[in-house]
Amino acid sequence: MPTRYTRLLSVDAIRGIALLGMLLITVWEFGGFTPNQQAALQLEQSGSAYYLYALSSMLFEGKMRGLISLVFGVGIMLYMNRQNESSLAAAQELYIRRQLWLIVFGVVTAMVLLWPGDILFQLGIAGIFIFPFFRMNKTGLLTCAIIATLFYCGKLYWNYADDQRSLASYKAVLKVEEKIKKDSIDGHRKDSLAGLPADTIKIRDSTRKKNDTLTTLQQRDKAAWEGIAKREKYDSSKAAEKMEKQSIRKGYGEVWTYLVERSKRQEARWLYRTGIADLASLMLLGMALFAYGFFSSGYAKNRYLLFGLLGIIAGIAFSWLRLELLHEKVFDYEKYINKYSFPANQFFPLERLSLSFGYISLIAWFVRCNILKRLWPVFGAVGRMAFTNYLLQTIICVFFFYGFGAGYFGRLSIFQLCFFALEVWLIQIVFSILWLRFYDYGPAEWLWRRLTIISQLRQ
Amino acid sequence: MAILNNPEPVVQANRIKTIDIIRGAAVLGILLMNIIGFGFNMDNLLGVMQGPRTTRDFYTMTTILSFFDGSMRGIFSMLFGAGMILFTLGKKEQPGGATIVELYYRRLLWLLLFGLFNAFVLLWDGDILYLYALCGMVLFVFRKTRIRWLFVLALACMCVLMVKKQNKWSATKDTRVAYLAALKAEKDSVKLTDEQEMAKAEWPQMEQEGKQPLDPVFASQNRQKMRSGYGSVFTHLQQRIAYLQTVDVYETYFWDALIMMFLGMALLRLGFFSNHLSTSTYLLWLLAGYGIGIPLGYFLLKNGFLLQFTDFVGYVDRYRVIPDLAYDVRRALIAVGHVSLLMLVYRSGIAAWFMQALANVGQMAFTNYLMQSILCTFLFFGYGFGWYDTLKLHQLYYVVGCIWLLQLIYSSIWLKYFRFGPFEWLWRSLTYWKMQPMRK
Repeated sequence: MPTRYTRLLSVDAIRGIALLGMLLITVWEFGGFTPNQQAALQLEQSGSAYYLYALSSMLFEGKMRGLISLVFGVGIMLYMNRQNESSLAAAQELYIRRQLWLIVFGVVTAMVLLWPGDILFQLGIAGIFIFPFFRMNKTGLLTCAIIATLFYCGKLYWNYADDQRSLASYKAVLKVEEKIKKDSIDGHRKDSLAGLPADTIKIRDSTRKKNDTLTTLQQRDKAAWEGIAKREKYDSSKAAEKMEKQSIRKGYGEVWTYLVERSKRQEARWLYRTGIADLASLMLLGMALFAYGFFSSGYAKNRYLLFGLLGIIAGIAFSWLRLELLHEKVFDYEKYINKYSFPANQFFPLERLSLSFGYISLIAWFVRCNILKRLWPVFGAVGRMAFTNYLLQTIICVFFFYGFGAGYFGRLSIFQLCFFALEVWLIQIVFSILWLRFYDYGPAEWLWRRLTIISQLRQ
Repeated sequence: MAILNNPEPVVQANRIKTIDIIRGAAVLGILLMNIIGFGFNMDNLLGVMQGPRTTRDFYTMTTILSFFDGSMRGIFSMLFGAGMILFTLGKKEQPGGATIVELYYRRLLWLLLFGLFNAFVLLWDGDILYLYALCGMVLFVFRKTRIRWLFVLALACMCVLMVKKQNKWSATKDTRVAYLAALKAEKDSVKLTDEQEMAKAEWPQMEQEGKQPLDPVFASQNRQKMRSGYGSVFTHLQQRIAYLQTVDVYETYFWDALIMMFLGMALLRLGFFSNHLSTSTYLLWLLAGYGIGIPLGYFLLKNGFLLQFTDFVGYVDRYRVIPDLAYDVRRALIAVGHVSLLMLVYRSGIAAWFMQALANVGQMAFTNYLMQSILCTFLFFGYGFGWYDTLKLHQLYYVVGCIWLLQLIYSSIWLKYFRFGPFEWLWRSLTYWKMQPMRK
């Protein structure tokens, strides 16, 4: 959106880093490192595979999406503040059209490229929601960012409370069941003491059992919790994984049928339950930081370093806590609920917020101190073509892992997946630098721009 | 066409008045459908459908479903689309202030929050404000689109829904066919393959769900929960509301609303809502709308809906294409018929005082819509009078009559003293982030 003249180098660099970093996490879903395998590592809590997993989860999971949202928010401010009075309305309409096209691209990524983890759709919608906030003053923006983060924490607690309730009704049903059993045994004993013949006792037992069974609702409550407990537990039979491997290693049609439901769920439910708070909180933070002059070298160098270190330390503390709690949760969810009144990911929103903030502060400090001077333009190039690179990443992964491509889904270990991601980084870096030598925009950016402008002019 | 070329000079008072009348009729009419959700346990509705066809309840249901189902919501959506054009094209921008684009999107964000309030605080799970806010975000860029293309867009959205419905239907049909084939193979004492075994097991379950889409255990639980306190009703409904606002909006209602919104935008541009067409044109639309729409509606009800719940197997065997495909055509026609009728009555000058009262209801439609939630939840849910599932279907419409009367009266009184309805005032003030003048 910003032209090359007003582009802030560090913003592009952050976007580039976020885009590449994101692949370290998304490659898990692309490549078949399933939640069940993650649960196995969480359970074990040792070994080099676990450390690689834990490190990626601590430093990258959710934070890279956070950085992208944050930079998106900065982009909104840059764009809106650059317009003069008379062009503002037209520029805003152009922005809305851009977002609507982004939503369309997102649907294509999710439904045609078959990547359920797509975030273009989500960013498109969140961008429309958030844009009217640009007129707010800096305190207002920061307050909104904090409210959104707290709301996100609240949402996570809300979901946990559902599980707590489910366990409570399960326990109640168990008590009823115990009582039914006891009554039946007592009755049996009484009958035999009364000297009834064994045949009569048998008949009595059977009639008693008929009357004394759980009601349908009780049975459902029981099954509901058992389902949850099973979902959270490590499944050593790996049945679900085997099914998934089989389904994704097939041809396009079969993979489509298998994944399209997941894509829909992501676009409808994830966005509503989690996504909107997840994205909006950091977009608002980005806008607030922009308003505070964070990106226009308003602060002394050392302050960036201080912010960076504080953010990273706080974020790592939160994520370390999360991983510890996850271990207990996978070990035995029932025990976990009895012991803790909050979910394992309760502080995840704060973790992302602190780490994302820490990262950008540290990068800003590096850039300002001229450290690693050569490196930032490299990431900057990737960031300038972020949209192209995102699509490229998706295409590479889909064709490498899915059955209608090379079919490596579920065949690589976490180390190999990590190595694969690094290789893709290399491709993307080289491609971006070369492309930008000859052109001003990435190809997908160009298409996106054309579509937006044409649709506006057509009016 | 007059509005298309020049939004300003249309006689302002006149234009707004007819739109207000239609909106008033729609907001009252919407309660005809919603009352069933507020006060009636759904398994009872199935009971009415499957029961004898001579009771008052059955006649009531037939009338309501063939005349009003979807069409009132349709008019409401049409006017939302039309209102978007009026809002964005009718405003002059203040220099230095927020642009129309901003105001429009701010307004929608507040509407979204009002929708969440209506759903999660007032506990009305049939809320449409949330949905409208989402659709409105898409509509904006089409505000200057040509009439022809608006019709094309409406048709495209309709096709999306048709394809979805037909796909689902074909899957049902396939299951049935596979089941019959498996039965035949079994009869010929051929050993069944695994797939055939599966097909054999799958159909009976589908048949059960088709006949009795509402689980009886859930229905009785629902009855009991809706009559309990606020906390229980909330926990009972929250998951359903979330489901409606995610899966249902995403799969169905987004398209459902967009069809009518695009139609409404096109019709506004044609001058349909602003009393700009000739009497004979309205007459023609009335004839076409009712003349085709009502028989179609009756056919869909009798040979579609009712057949489905009385003889599911016969229903599946009979139709290659699901009759429900005509649903949106039907409700669009009937909606156009309703609007034409209103315009004709308005023109004839009959019952002018009543038209004025309707216009008052329409002028504070947002308040009246929310008031229906407040009144009905209080009347029917356990923390109020708890009438949930105690009235018969036809008795519910006495309640509707009372609420209509109440709304017609208080709207007229309120607007004597104030410029906007209370919720309109709140919404405006929030949008402009400044207290708006309220008193006349």
